[in-house]
Amino acid sequence: MPTVLAMADFDLPTRSASGFMLRYIAPRVEPIQLLGVLVRRLPFRLSAPQSDIIIGVGHGDVDVFTGQNEAIILEVGKYDPREVKGKVIKLLSCQTGVELGPDLVKNGAASVLAYVDDYVWVVDADLASTPWSDKMAATSLMPVVDGLNALLDGKTAKEALNIELEGYSRNAKVEKDELVKACLEFNRSNAILIGDGGASIRARPSLALPFKLIPPPPLLMPV
Amino acid sequence: MTKEFEDLKEVLKKAPTPEAMKEAAEAFKRYRIVELAKGKASKPTLVSLGYKKRYPHAVPLDKMPEELATNPEFFELMGRIVREKE
Repeated sequence: MPTVLAMADFDLPTRSASGFMLRYIAPRVEPIQLLGVLVRRLPFRLSAPQSDIIIGVGHGDVDVFTGQNEAIILEVGKYDPREVKGKVIKLLSCQTGVELGPDLVKNGAASVLAYVDDYVWVVDADLASTPWSDKMAATSLMPVVDGLNALLDGKTAKEALNIELEGYSRNAKVEKDELVKACLEFNRSNAILIGDGGASIRARPSLALPFKLIPPPPLLMPV
Repeated sequence: MTKEFEDLKEVLKKAPTPEAMKEAAEAFKRYRIVELAKGKASKPTLVSLGYKKRYPHAVPLDKMPEELATNPEFFELMGRIVREKE
């Protein structure tokens, strides 16, 4: 079954978060990958039912997850349950764990990994075209990547969440900048798992050697 | 924890009154001076993935005092961020 990897990339936060997905997650999963202008409702609606895992990066609120330019992708009560039934879903977005996550599980999702408050981190805006090289952003986003890789290795949703939480704790312990540290602890305390903690997906092959060594080309930036 | 960050945390515990918001802006400026002296990244920016919030998705740290002084929702967000670590 394919992976739906939806990566909005129209502003600094989405470009930073999706940049890490492009660098570390996209090369390991087969299409379907929705990037940039493709992160809209129709492509998502067509691709989601075929997948066993949905990974979404975009802006969100308690009852909604959005894609490119804040196009609505999933909203409480406004999607077909076939889009989410039996799937493991990870939403890197603000507050979707409050209402949307429980609604997705109620409509058949196996498990949802999300956040109950804002997802915040500090980026270096000068690295916006190569976000994966931003070490400050990596303190927060690499734990997310590690959790996702655990899922793609066939580990359970609960194990993946624990790996993400451990990553925040480990990075916070050595972080010197108090604001960055506060963000890590904030994200750690807001990450939740809804649904079946034992849910897992078919393991994918690990990242091939060339992708381990070579980052993607720089992202095109709006003029 | 530095005294400057401790001071910022204390101010952010207050309700978002105009006085508290100005106080937070000043406290953040003092904290930034300490951090800048350590040699930081070229353009650090606090970002979030919120939808239709009343604060910007991206706030450069050098603009944060202004945002803290004028935006009660951002003041409250910052209060939640620093409060979580206690």
